[in-house]
Amino acid sequence: MQVTIKVFRYNPEKDKKPHYETYQLEADPTDRVLDLLEKVKGYKDGTLSFRRSCAHGVCGSDAMRINGSNKLACKALVHDFGAKITVEPILGLRVIKDLIVDMEPFFDNFRKVLPYFINDDPAPEKERYQSQEDRERFDDTTKCILCAACTTSCPSFWASDEYLGPSAIVNAHRFIFDSRDQGAAQRLKIMNEIMGVSRCHTVFNCTLACPREIQITKAIGEVKKALMTGSLE
Amino acid sequence: MKSRTVSMAKRGFNFETTMWIFTRLSALAMYLFALIGVIGALIMGARTQMNMADLIRWTFMPNPNHVLNTNVADLVPWSTAFWKLTGSAFVFFAASHGLHGVLSVIEDYLTHPGLRKFLRLVVFVILVVMTAIGIYVLWTS
Repeated sequence: MQVTIKVFRYNPEKDKKPHYETYQLEADPTDRVLDLLEKVKGYKDGTLSFRRSCAHGVCGSDAMRINGSNKLACKALVHDFGAKITVEPILGLRVIKDLIVDMEPFFDNFRKVLPYFINDDPAPEKERYQSQEDRERFDDTTKCILCAACTTSCPSFWASDEYLGPSAIVNAHRFIFDSRDQGAAQRLKIMNEIMGVSRCHTVFNCTLACPREIQITKAIGEVKKALMTGSLE
Repeated sequence: MKSRTVSMAKRGFNFETTMWIFTRLSALAMYLFALIGVIGALIMGARTQMNMADLIRWTFMPNPNHVLNTNVADLVPWSTAFWKLTGSAFVFFAASHGLHGVLSVIEDYLTHPGLRKFLRLVVFVILVVMTAIGIYVLWTS
């Protein structure tokens, strides 16, 4: 099939302001949007810049706005979008070039929630035992690949990148509800700050945007509940 | 699964958390006051076959002036301290619930600490003034 792909372009060294460029391509309905971008870069315009790495929905490098929705280009199939496809960078982060955005504010927020295992007890001889039931409690939020599709779909994050954002809260949830972890109180204090969970207004954009289908709004709700009750069940 | 809890002292309890809970509880309180208002108006207005518009107006603002022009003959049951107290509480919860919504919008979009502090103060002053005027009207009418 013939596909028209309209791509957001911006080179700060040459362009005064961003613009769109349109390319005509021959594609299979089962091609991915990433394949189209590779074709543009390989055969039409080598200056097109975008991030990609594994190309299989695991590394989270190629989150972008495709026909207005945040998607991973490597998981977005042409037949889901039709013959006219518009590709733009994710919102709320500064565009460095074309589809590449500055991810630093996103990772700053990620680091704020102490996204690592905290347990000051001496390491046991064999393992820090965790039952299957306890592991299941936070299974959903272990799936985050830090692609930023959720955070950059959130109106509160568009308003201010000081808001921790859905992804950081998801990663806090992953450790807060881990039965082996001892840093829940520290993380809940961070969640309780003015730019923490209070800025979430349950818009559900994050849940819709997540390419890993994490129930993000539910996870944020569970963190809010833990803040109110103190229970980590 | 062993029980894990974090005490209030450890997880912190600040203005954000307090207002988050308050906003939800004040919404429930307003439903309760509206229910009390509609049941009260149905009982008091039954003999005069109070119409729907007057009933709803009383439900959301139990001020005796609001039934003055209806076919209610005796205003006394509508002017008791119970209704003034109910109305005052309704005014307080409605104003604080709504203005906390305004505050949320301000805090979503403004990050400058000084401006944020100033607008918090403005919202607080509006809350006090609006509530005071509402309660004054209720108790002097």
